[in-house]
Amino acid sequence: MLLLRDRTGLTLLFVMPVVLITVMALIEDAPFRDYQELKFDILTVDNDQGRLGKYIREGLGQTGQFRVVDTVNGNTVTEQQARAMVNEGHYQICIIIPKGATGAIVSNANKIVNDISRRMGMPDVLPVSNRKDSLHVTVYFDPASKKAFKSAIHQALDNFLTQVETDLLLERIKKQLKKKDVPENDSMHIELKAVGLKEQLTGPSQELDVISNSVQHNVPAWSIFAMFFIVIPIAGNMIREREDGSLLRMKLIPGSYLAILTGKMLFFVAVCVVQFYLMMQVGIYLLPLLGLPRLMLGQSFLAAFIVATGIGLAATSYGILVGTVFKTPNQALNFGAISIVILSAIGGIWIPLEIMPSHMQFIGHLSPLSWGLDAINNIYLRNVGVSHIWVDMGKLVMFAAVLLCIAAAIEKRRLS
Amino acid sequence: MRCRGRSTIPEIVESEIIMTSMLVQDLHKTYKGALEPSLKGLSFSFPERSIVGLLGPNGAGKTTTISILCGLVKADAGQVQLFDLTQNAANREAIKQLIGVVPQQIALFPHLTAIENLEYFGNLYGLKGKPLRNLIDQYLQEFGLEKAGNKQIRHFSGGMKRRTNIIASILHHPKLLILDEPTAGVDVQSRTMILQFLRNYNQQGVSIVYTSHLLDEAQTICSEVVIIDEGRAVVQGGTEELIQRHAECRNLEDVFLHYTGHALRD
Repeated sequence: MLLLRDRTGLTLLFVMPVVLITVMALIEDAPFRDYQELKFDILTVDNDQGRLGKYIREGLGQTGQFRVVDTVNGNTVTEQQARAMVNEGHYQICIIIPKGATGAIVSNANKIVNDISRRMGMPDVLPVSNRKDSLHVTVYFDPASKKAFKSAIHQALDNFLTQVETDLLLERIKKQLKKKDVPENDSMHIELKAVGLKEQLTGPSQELDVISNSVQHNVPAWSIFAMFFIVIPIAGNMIREREDGSLLRMKLIPGSYLAILTGKMLFFVAVCVVQFYLMMQVGIYLLPLLGLPRLMLGQSFLAAFIVATGIGLAATSYGILVGTVFKTPNQALNFGAISIVILSAIGGIWIPLEIMPSHMQFIGHLSPLSWGLDAINNIYLRNVGVSHIWVDMGKLVMFAAVLLCIAAAIEKRRLS
Repeated sequence: MRCRGRSTIPEIVESEIIMTSMLVQDLHKTYKGALEPSLKGLSFSFPERSIVGLLGPNGAGKTTTISILCGLVKADAGQVQLFDLTQNAANREAIKQLIGVVPQQIALFPHLTAIENLEYFGNLYGLKGKPLRNLIDQYLQEFGLEKAGNKQIRHFSGGMKRRTNIIASILHHPKLLILDEPTAGVDVQSRTMILQFLRNYNQQGVSIVYTSHLLDEAQTICSEVVIIDEGRAVVQGGTEELIQRHAECRNLEDVFLHYTGHALRD
């Protein structure tokens, strides 16, 4: 009844987290997306007009990550223009394929084949260029480009170069071998890839293909953050009860005050669990309407419920401790809010712990918010069940028990 | 002349214990970290069905005394007996049932209505259903709040809050009612009503302990007073008797100043 009439409290507990989760999922969507999901415009200046340029343009286009641009306003771009446009930030990347690049590769392949032919007692008849200088495919990056992005582009281009070189070499070898008593109907198919790559999930289920995207990280993470914000109403409520004498009145009523406190705790834990499931509904129904991926909940609903209860218990206990330690609602509000922000920042709520430096990861694993998030990620991303959550649950319950004992000791000391 | 010290405290004899509603003997209390003890051997007693004013300047030890009487704070030494029960862990729950405490603060939930507040506290006392509702209606009428029962406490005037605060403390029919400045900050009409209620309530057989800095009010309502200063009872007696005991004292305030002096207690 009290909570229903407290519009500010209701807003803080239910409306603000919905807004927070929606905003965070939207703004962190791009950074969370894999490069496969994003399309970058790549300026190409093909001075070669040979097979290498064709391979690079086709290869980049086929990845789905890049849109190859070789004309701007209907005009072919020169190297100088391309550099300027990248430097000004209009494009993130520009690839210059030098004149004669394909010829250089063909000449190199011919040289290798001639060499092999000579050793095999065959005539070395393929033409070889006398060019001494080495050619380079030049890449210009926007100065603001991230290191990981540059690395990905380097790798992709290196692959294309290797592929062109290999293809041309194989082609030359086949051409040379056909001169030596090979029947006309022999296609001489050479399969270079003896061993390939296959991606497989590690979890028990092979059906779900859940990736850690913005929604999958932000919805559980900020839900846990919002659940911990229950510290503020709990602490404020406790301090007001102490100040206005309600606490005294309740302590004077026959029966254990612990029973009243337990009842209150269970209520607040229930509020946390309701909060959690409300946020999950946002991830399942609301965020897809805004063009974001749908939240996947894993397979064990019981495990998620147990973890949500554990997080609620930890958050409620923290609120009771803050309410016991501080003397005014203002003190509790400031400390409570700032401490939760710090615990969430180090606990992997803002950005995943995995991408933090190792010493920060160690500190982060001391945050109760990280225990909750780890458990939820295990359930949602790795599809684990009840049997795999007990370590994190144990930490959350222990955390709650320790805080309650400290609060009890402080209250006892205050009365004495 | 100042007459301070234990000599003015009446000797407690065995026969009185049976008739007293409250017996406080040699209470000592020093809070952890405090430089000075709050109580230094406080003793007093008063008979059943009396209205006793527990008076004293700021820091005299009144709040500590009430906290010990209620069982919220444990005394370092000494004994408290309420009716036939000694205040200890074994009797704490029984004593809670016997006493009602009206705190100085408005110990009610501001976002709940008067009826919701009273039902909540009534439920905690084990009262339920129609009997509780009837009792609430009766008290609301008695305190002139029958039309305000469904209004939230935060919309009440100071006097209405004070009256509801008292009702919340008497729902379980206590034998001893302790009031900490029950008329602080209320208008004359509410004050008159509260004092009249206390007189009527006392006539129904309930003992009342009343603390206030309003000594004219204490003089009109209290049959007995205990004046506490620096953790000790400096005098106890009938209100009129104490006034008459000293020729220079015309009222309770004079008696109070006579025993506690004019020095400021900051």
